[in-house]
Amino acid sequence: MASRTVAKDIITLRGSAAIVSEFFGYAANSILYNRGVYPEESFAKVKKYGLPMLLTQDEEWLEAGKLQRVVMVIMSKATKEVLERWNFSIETDSDVVEKGVSREKSDREIMREIQAIMRQIASSITYLPCLDEPCVFDVLAYTDTDVPVPFTWIESDPKLIANPQMVKLHSFDTKIHKVDTLVSYKNDEWDEQ
Amino acid sequence: MDPETEFLSSKRQTGNEWELFKENVRPLKRGRNVDLLNHALKAHTNDQLKKSLLENRRRLIEAIDEYQGDDPLQPWLDCIKWVQEAFPPGGDFSGLVLIYEQCVRAFWHSDRYKDDLRYLKVWLEYAEHCSDAEVIYSFLDANDIGNTHSAYYIAYALHMESKSKMKAANDILNLGISSNAQPIEKLRDAYKKFLARSMRRPNATEEELKEDDLPVRSFGTVLARGESQRQAIKTFELGRNKLKQDQVHRTPLSIYNDTNMDVMRGHHSKPSTGSNSWHTLGGRAERNKENNAMPAKWTSHKIPQRPVPRIVGAVASSQIEVFVDEECEEKPKVHDEKDRTSSLQLRELDGRNIKKETELLRENPLRNFPSNSLPR
Repeated sequence: MASRTVAKDIITLRGSAAIVSEFFGYAANSILYNRGVYPEESFAKVKKYGLPMLLTQDEEWLEAGKLQRVVMVIMSKATKEVLERWNFSIETDSDVVEKGVSREKSDREIMREIQAIMRQIASSITYLPCLDEPCVFDVLAYTDTDVPVPFTWIESDPKLIANPQMVKLHSFDTKIHKVDTLVSYKNDEWDEQ
Repeated sequence: MDPETEFLSSKRQTGNEWELFKENVRPLKRGRNVDLLNHALKAHTNDQLKKSLLENRRRLIEAIDEYQGDDPLQPWLDCIKWVQEAFPPGGDFSGLVLIYEQCVRAFWHSDRYKDDLRYLKVWLEYAEHCSDAEVIYSFLDANDIGNTHSAYYIAYALHMESKSKMKAANDILNLGISSNAQPIEKLRDAYKKFLARSMRRPNATEEELKEDDLPVRSFGTVLARGESQRQAIKTFELGRNKLKQDQVHRTPLSIYNDTNMDVMRGHHSKPSTGSNSWHTLGGRAERNKENNAMPAKWTSHKIPQRPVPRIVGAVASSQIEVFVDEECEEKPKVHDEKDRTSSLQLRELDGRNIKKETELLRENPLRNFPSNSLPR
């Protein structure tokens, strides 16, 4: 009388890393698109060649349990001033990493949580300042200190915003990786150019 | 620890009213403070909070009066920012348009603020709320306000572009660049984007020639100009109410003029053009029909009664507010820097017909300005 395990409810470390990495892809695309960082015409190009390269590295780090945070930084192209920071902070279940156990959670549930975050990202124009100048973006990865820096990445300062306004969005949890989302942006200045 | 890390590691959450009521929130260019926003949205359904909001507004208005420092514009800005955050949908009931108007009118003659970017921004935001902002831009031009800032030229040019006056827009941007308005890069960038857009436009040479924008007057016998003038038929409503409340209109809906229409549609109809010639007087019976016709039901339309929405801040009393005409009330002294009497008017926001005043200002933003200040 062995109970039937629904295969898709089992989450492995690798599976979870894949889900989280995929989420970063969706989120990053959504942010760049919604915030107008790239004009619509060049967006397809960015999607194909820009982001995936950044994100395969994330997946590796996630599997090793060494990724702490991924931050997407949006800056003014002209002045390089940081205007917005999209923070995705990750808590990894160390048991899973060390002992290779798996967890249980339905895919659908996870997807629902992710969708809730995606909806919030799109709705954020409600409070985010208008980005009416050309902008560029950067992806920062916060890793454990013992992680060597791959050659496609460089060490960087955190590019923080001084006195930011901050909004915490929903989080999602695969039971192996828990991801919190926070967006921070510059305070309003009535006399800013 | 940086503030973000601190926030992330704490158990603090941000309320989610902003997401639940996002349709009721007008996005601001400068962004919003989410905590204030959530608070304001909660106030929608909470009388206690609503009262405290109104109390706050009153205090900020008083602060304008009582300000003793050397930057009298600042308390106005504090008030404006607060009203924008506290009344997320904006709209005619927030009193925002009135505050803009009084603020700009308080300082238009002041040399001190001619080049102040903050002051210019109040003007620009006021312009965004008006049905035709061109008169505002002309005013700024005639009075040398804000012409060292790129924001002025960009906004002015965008407005002209929206009216398809491409040459004017082009000239304005060029003027800004040659005047070295700051920040110059932003202006150059805006110009590049403008050029790209104008390339994509279908050739609109007709509009180019008509720099004179007086409306063509017609008396019901001329068909509405071109298909591009078609607008949705304005819903007839008894009394002016909710139609424009939650929308920031730059232009009011114009009424589609169908000359074949001979069914009475309330007060907005034009007389039927069945017999549009004045050459025949018609038979006696026809001439006298108003006196002979039996009253009949309006069979074609049933106008639903809509309850008049509560004006924010109005006390629920059975009295009807008597609107006092501009001419009959005290004229505020425009030249007083502290401008006590004009903020007295503001204080009366609570008791007054905010919406009516807002609508009047939208249509004629400079109506309170002395006539010698207006551009010829």
